[in-house]
This record gives sequence, C-alpha cells and structure tokens, in this order.
Amino acid sequence: MQALHQKAKELLESGKVQVIIGYGDGSGDRVRPVFISKAESASDLIWDDRCRQNLAVYLNKPEIKKLGVPAIVATPVVVKTIIQLISENQLKSSNIVVLVVDNDVVSELTDNASLEAYSAGHPVVFPPFVVKEIKDIAEMSIQQRNKYWQDELSRCFKCYACRAACPLCYCERCLTDNNQPQWVCVASHAQGNFEWHINRAMHLAGRCVECGSCTIACPVGIPIGLLTIEASRIVKQEFGQEPGLHCDADSAMSSFKVEDTETFIK
Amino acid sequence: MSRIGVFICHCGENISATVDCEKVAKTLASMPGVAHSVDYKYMCSDPGQSLIRSAIKEKKLTGVVVAACSPRMHEPTFRKACAEARLNPFLCEMANLREHCSWVHAKGDATTDKAIDLVSMLVEKVKRNKPLFPIKVPVTKTALVIGGGIAGIQAALDIANAGQKVVLVEREPSIGGHMSQLSETFPTLDCSQCILTPRMVEVAQNPNITLYTYAEVESLSGFIGNFTARIRKKAKSVDEKLCTGCGECATACPIKKIPSEFNTGLGMRGAIYVPFPQAVPNKPVIDRSRCTYFKSGKCKFCASKCPAQAIRFDQQDEIIEIPIGSVVVTTGFNIKETSFFPEYGYGKYKDVVTGLQFERLLSASGPTLGEVKRPSDGTVPKKIVFVACTGSRDPAKGIEYCSKICCMYTAKHAMLYKHKVHDGDAYVFYMDIRAAGKGYDEFFRRAIEEDHVNYIRGRISRIYERNGKLIVRGADTLLGAQQVEIEADMVVLATAAVANDGAESLAQKLHVSYDAHHFFAEAHPKLRPVETNTAGIFLAGACQSPKDIPETVSQASAAASKVIGLFSNAELTREPIIAVVNRTAPPLFSTCVGCFMCQSACPYHAIEQEEIKTREGKLIKMVAKVNPGLCQGCGTCVAFCRSKSIDLQGYSNEQVYAEVMELLS
Amino acid sequence: MENNFEPKIVAFVCNWCTYAGADLTGTSRIKYATNVRIIRFPCTGRIDYNLLLKAFAQGADGVIVSGCHPNDCHYTSGNFHARRRWIVFKQMMEYMGIDMRRVKFSWVSAAEGAKWADIVNTTVNEIRELGPSQEYLEMSRQGVA
Repeated sequence: MQALHQKAKELLESGKVQVIIGYGDGSGDRVRPVFISKAESASDLIWDDRCRQNLAVYLNKPEIKKLGVPAIVATPVVVKTIIQLISENQLKSSNIVVLVVDNDVVSELTDNASLEAYSAGHPVVFPPFVVKEIKDIAEMSIQQRNKYWQDELSRCFKCYACRAACPLCYCERCLTDNNQPQWVCVASHAQGNFEWHINRAMHLAGRCVECGSCTIACPVGIPIGLLTIEASRIVKQEFGQEPGLHCDADSAMSSFKVEDTETFIK
Repeated sequence: MSRIGVFICHCGENISATVDCEKVAKTLASMPGVAHSVDYKYMCSDPGQSLIRSAIKEKKLTGVVVAACSPRMHEPTFRKACAEARLNPFLCEMANLREHCSWVHAKGDATTDKAIDLVSMLVEKVKRNKPLFPIKVPVTKTALVIGGGIAGIQAALDIANAGQKVVLVEREPSIGGHMSQLSETFPTLDCSQCILTPRMVEVAQNPNITLYTYAEVESLSGFIGNFTARIRKKAKSVDEKLCTGCGECATACPIKKIPSEFNTGLGMRGAIYVPFPQAVPNKPVIDRSRCTYFKSGKCKFCASKCPAQAIRFDQQDEIIEIPIGSVVVTTGFNIKETSFFPEYGYGKYKDVVTGLQFERLLSASGPTLGEVKRPSDGTVPKKIVFVACTGSRDPAKGIEYCSKICCMYTAKHAMLYKHKVHDGDAYVFYMDIRAAGKGYDEFFRRAIEEDHVNYIRGRISRIYERNGKLIVRGADTLLGAQQVEIEADMVVLATAAVANDGAESLAQKLHVSYDAHHFFAEAHPKLRPVETNTAGIFLAGACQSPKDIPETVSQASAAASKVIGLFSNAELTREPIIAVVNRTAPPLFSTCVGCFMCQSACPYHAIEQEEIKTREGKLIKMVAKVNPGLCQGCGTCVAFCRSKSIDLQGYSNEQVYAEVMELLS
Repeated sequence: MENNFEPKIVAFVCNWCTYAGADLTGTSRIKYATNVRIIRFPCTGRIDYNLLLKAFAQGADGVIVSGCHPNDCHYTSGNFHARRRWIVFKQMMEYMGIDMRRVKFSWVSAAEGAKWADIVNTTVNEIRELGPSQEYLEMSRQGVA
C-alpha cells in the first residue's frame, strides 16, 4: 500500500492527474470508492482483497469528468472495462492513468498496448458460488429456467441500480426511458421486468466484462449478472469474440463473419 | 388528429373474388382517424386515381392507404397521384391485398378478416408517417475511367465528346490495352492498330481528357456525384514535359534482353522503353526493377544520351487527389499462360504458344514483322494445330465459363495462317463452335470452306515433343472418338480469358461486388448490365466477363451514356428513405453517445463522426452522423442502436411499433 | 380444442427477397393458411428483436422472421448482421425460459414463392400443435407485482 500512496502523491503533486479514483475506508469493514484530489490525502487509499467494485463506472460520470484528468486504481476487470470503453470510443488511454498493483508494486498502464498486455495476462475468474449458479441453470430444463427467472425477476422493482452500477451502461438516454415508442413497459410487472432484463442482456452481449457489479448493486438480490455473463458466453461460443481484450476491436454484435453458423434458419 | 383516406381496390375481380371489399371498406370507415373509406373496381385506373385525388382535397386527408396489389408494383403510381393532389407522396402507403391475400386464400371470412388486419395495420403506420422530401446531392462533373484499353478509350471519348471532363488512368506506360496487340480483327479482318491508334491519339488530344499513364487508383472515397479518387502516378523517371520521344535513350540502354510485355515475351525491350511504336503517350519510362542504375547505382547511359536532358532518376511516385462524380471501370481481362497446362507441357515447349502470342506473330508490327515463324528456330511452321477451349468450360481447371472470344479468333488465326503460308495445313480442335454475332457464322464457315482449315471436334489429351515435332494427341468425337495424332510444327492454345491481375483488390477499393472468378458484378444481368451495385460506378468490357471488341465498345458507350445522363443534372435526387441520428436541445444535443457501433455495421460507410462544439470551439461530444448521399436505407444501424438515437425515415421505430401493436390488438 | 385453435402469426420480412417471394406466391396462385400477417421492412438488418417481444406481448402465437439468403442481401450484409443478432437472441430467450419454437427464422428469396407458402403452412401447423402462447400471456396476466 506504501507504493500506492507514494505513486498517488507523485501523480497529484506533478499535476499529471487531478484526481485519483480508488478505494478507501467505508462504514464497518467495508471499502468505498474515494476520489482524492489532494496529495496529502493520498494515504487514504486502500488496496486489499475487499477492493472489488468496478470503479470504471465513475470514469464517464459528468461529476467525475469535471474534476480533471483521472488516475484509477484498477483491478484486472477494471482494466478490461477500460479497454472495452476505449473500443467503444468512450475513453482514450492518453486521457487517463491506470494504476495496477501487483505484490505491492504499482505500475502505470499508459497506452493501449500495455492495457491489452495486462488484460491478456489477467483472465476473469468467477468466485465458486457464481460457477455453481451458472452450472445449476445450465442443467435446468427450459420450463425450470422459465420458473427460475420468473421467480427471481418478480422481485425486481426497476430501481435501475444495475444500470447505474454498470460501467458499460453509459447511454445518456436509456432505451427504457424512451417512450416513443414505449419499448420497455414502464410497470415492474412480469412483462415489464422481462423486457428490461432481456434488453439489458442483449445490450451487453459481447460487451459484458463480467465484473458482477450489477448483481452486487441489486437491492433485492437477483443474480442478474448471470444474464449478461450468459450473453457474453454465447457471443464467445458462437463468434469467438471476447470483450475487454483489444482496444480497436469491432463490437461482436455490429460485425459479422460470412462463415457464422447456425442450424435454426430454414 | 389524423384524417386518413382508405381506398380498397377490387382489381377487377382479382381481389373481390375472395375478399369482401365492401366489408373491408365499411369496417375501416369506423376505425379511429379514418376520415374516408371507399372501395372501387380499379384504383390504379385514371378514374380510380382521381377518386384519391379528389378525396384528398375534399376530405382534407392527412394520409392515404391504398389497399390493392403489391407496393412493389404500384406504390410509385399512388404516391404520384397523392403528390398531384398536393399530399406529400410519403404519406401514402399500400396494403397488399392481392399477392398477399386474395390470390393465396380461398373466399371466406378468414380472408376478409386478414384483409381488414392488413389495411388497419397500414392505417396505424401512415398515421405516423412524416412528409419526406427527396434528397438533393450536388454532382462533380468529372468522370474517372479506370483502364485505357478499347473500353476505356471509347468511354472516355464518348464522355469527353459530350462536353464533360474525364480522367483516364492506365497502369501501363501506354494506353491501347489488348486491342493494340492484336493483328487483325474478326469478322472483317481489318487491322487492329489501324482502327485503334487514331482513337488513342484522339484521347491524347481531347482537351476534356486528362490522361495518367503508368498510374493506379489508390483509393476511392465518397459517393455518387461526390467521390474523391486518390491516384498514384508511378515515377516514370522521365520528365515528360522535356522529353521529345526521340528514342535515343532506348537505343543507349545497354540492357536489351528484357522480355517485352507488349510482344508477350516473343520480343525484347530495354530497361528504358516505349512499349510499342504507336504508344500514347510516346514517351519512355524506366523499369526500375531492371535498370542497372537502380540496381547498382552506376550506368546512366540513357541520361548521357538524352538530348533534352529529361531523365530523372530521383523522381518519386506522386499521389494526387481528384474530385470525381462518376467512375467507369474498364480494366479488361488477361489470358492464362501456357504454363497453366501440365498436359500441354507446362509451357516448356517454345512452339506451344497462346492465342495472344500468335497475334503478335501475325502482326506486321510484331517480333517477326508479320511472318509466321516458330519461336524456337524461326522456321515457318508447315503444320499448325489450334486448340480451342484451353481451360475454358473446364470445371477441373476451375473455369466453368466460356471465354467467348476464342472460337472466333481461332477461326481468324487459322485463316490468317493459311493466307500467309499457302502450303501449310491448319487443324482446329474444338468442343462446340459458338459463332453467334453479326457475320460471325459466315466468317468461321469461310475458314473451313474457302481456306480449307481442318476442324476436328474433340479435345486434346496430350502434347509432347518427338524429333523436333510436337505430337498432338486427341480424339475426333464425330468419328466415334477415333484417336487422332498430328505431328505439328506449332500449337496455338486458345487459353481461357480470366479477370485481370488486381481486379479483386480494385473491387474492394471501389466497394463494388465481384464474382467467384473476380470479374466485376453488374447490378442486374439483364436490365442493368453496365451498372454496379454501388451508385455512380459503371462497368464496361471484359472486366465484367470475357467479351469481343464490338460488345466491349457497345458497353463502353452504354456506360458513357449513363455517366452523361448523371452529369446532365446539376443535382441528384434520391429517395429520402435514409437513417437519421436525432438532435435534441442542449445540453444533450443528441441522445447518441458516440459508441459508433452503427459505423462498423453500416455496409455503405455512410456513418461519419461529427464533433459537437461550443461557440469557442471546445469539443462537447462526438456523435454519429449519416451521410445522406451514401445511406441506402437498410436500417441495420437502427436495430443496433441501444439508445434508439438513430432512426430510419419511412420505417421509423414508431411506425413499425404501431404496425405490430395494431395487428395484434 | 387444438383443431379449432387458429394461431395468430406475424411475419417480419425484408422488402427485397421474402416480401417479393411472397408476392410470387400470389402471382403463382399457391394457396396457404390465412393466419399470417406480413409486416414489411427494408432489410432483415432493420428488424429489432424488441418487435418480436412486443408481438408476443400483444398475443401473437408465433412469429416468422425471413429475409434474403446469405450473400443475396440487397444491402450486401444486413442479413449477416441479422443472423448474428438472432443467434444471440434465440439462445438468450431460451436461457430465460422462453420456448423459441414459436419463432421461425428462414431465408426466402424473391424466386421462392413455393417455399414461402410452405414456411407459412408448416409454421401454422407447428404452432397449432404447440397451442396458444402461454409464457407471455401469463406474464402479462400477472399484472403489477
């Protein structure tokens, strides 16, 4: 952590960045995001196993953008997110300093190539309970899956915390806020919830970096991350494309190969 | 409040035989927003159309649904009728009651119910239609012609003579193409150069034509009327303005043994050369890959002998950018080399030549000055075999198509040989004779009947050398596949005509389609034979498929007339069925967040990035912008857009959504 | 009951191939079931999966989506993009427990009038077998949670 504090201090003092987005002390045993703009506060930064939230979500928030050039303390999944955001023209690596900490050594990832190399070396590993959930659903019959999701989604009351927590949900006007026409039913009944969640999954297909922030954010405990994880799994299985690896990648869903195969189109 | 007019057509009895048209009209009359609903025997007839026109005026209609045949048939008719009554034509939609309903279902309630659904769906759509106005795009009145063979020459001259500017680009040092290599042309036997060279000179002299030889198209961007061509002028190493074309340099060049492309390897040239005496422009270029100076840094013999001091060893390739309104692709064809044919000796027998090589041997300007001599020893062949369909129509060779020109030129070759070698014997092996064309059948019959050429129907299995003779083995299928063996002095293979080198990469640069054999694809094989699928880009000649000269010239003139037609308007008018990115009030400016998924999805490169800036020039955001000249209105981007910031005029989200909702209500 | 059940089916088709193919079915006077209503789009690339969701929510028992065969798209690649979208959408729907046998994807060219009639008839028969669409009806019946 010493090295991180030192690096943060240097960056702020040199004026290279104006704000550090990182983790700090939260209530109880928790960590929370902190936005440090004074060098003397650099020692507020924390780096340990509790630092899991995807901080990349703040990079495109107008309030944070106002603070100036940011440095971000990045977990591997944050690096992936940043690469994905670069590929979607939402960020430039030249306008941001990415700090990664390995064994108390802090490195700056300053260009596309170093981000890509880091991402390739740090694959996402799901926690065991997520692996189990994925396996359980895969083994269900279609009727069981229907019931499972109907039950889970029945708790959704459309607070859109999932949307707010997702670093890749950066639209300024969400589809669901569009009422001409009303693509997603406003009400949070079964149909409205289904429409919202399948759209979220389709919109993140081939883009979801599987950080799990949406699931963590859900106040009623729906494992909604499984939906976008599945969408990305389908894309990887069918088209061999993975998000968060290449800064100049075309989105899997807006490109195609003549050889794409399916068996259901007659 | 919408005031929609509904017009149900009986189409004589085509619709009314199975659909209760009166009931459809009555039901629709009570639908909200419908101000007028009638049925009539023939809506497309003049009285039918005036029913629509007068209802628009009298009932102050805000939209029209004509329920009749397929919109693919009569949509333009009814839209025009609406426009005549001062209703924007894009406020008229058609419900397809004939092809999609009355013709495919039996008479009954279910059929009438379906008809009602189809009409009400379109009523809901048309309520959300917006007046649209044709898009005008300016036209740059300069045509780019790529390839300076006879097709390019003809197209360039036709366009230039109509008073329009032309840029003609040819990658070789001279224009002329394959036609300049030919001896005499079928079926009239007039000398190819005699009819071609005046045209070549005309190109050089026409003030409307800018000629770039030894140049290639690097890229083409933009869209119909508004292309930008980047052209690479390869370094000729000669200052063309100073060069007088005296030829001292070529004489001085110590390298003499480079196979001449023009003479198909049967003659030689130097490292600095003019491809042939009648070349246009008649100025030399240095072939840097062969020049001693460029290889070793020493020599410069040509420069020392040049009286005009025009040699420029330090010249660089130059890239120029030219605004272009239209493109004609005339890059021609090539023919397979003898080395493509293992069964005929892999090209190792010098006296087995291609048809094009034989043209050079027959040509008065050729390496033998028009005398038929064997390349191996210079003797006059007394027995000669011509093989038609060498590679063509042969799936085993990967060339299933007919090369089209070979039947006729083989007859010509045999005929010219007999005219030059009176005591010689000529044999032609053929699969079928394809001599459709004015004077063509008569021509090939003359070869048989007057010049006594021996035609043998059958294919050659093998050619091999024995005691200085070429043994040609084949079968005569008209004599029960009897074995034939001819001891020939020379063999001429009518090798397959194939797409020119680089055709595929050029097609990709131009964004036009091509077929499996890399010939450029026409927009429609019958009705749009000289257009490509890309608006403003036309085709002529053998780059589209093998063709003879008359056909090539007709196509070139056809393509030229398309260009001239395009240039006859100051502006182009296009259907306004295009995608549009929304604009909203500040501070949002647009709901587009600039992810540019639409950009990678667009098949037409029609989506650009637009910077929205403050008055002081500070960047606020980047958003997508559709180029209305390029967008073809497929709407693929619309379905991709997560925030629904891009929409397709004529098939907007609101319109199609309303159709679904109405249909199932 | 199954015999009396007349499924409501919506077809989303492209203008250049399937719409024209269905025109040819008409010109050839090939008869087929009356259950299908065609909605015309410029290209399969334009067809938003949300329209399929809305069709089911509105009570459709089946949906047909059809366009130009691969390599035949009037706009060169709209159908390739559509194919990718359908590959993901179909699996995603199945993951959420929706029976996708109610959606028929097909390629019908402007020359395949008989194939269009066949697609319609087969779809109507299969949907008749499946019975009225349940999952979506239940969803909309549940009302506000």
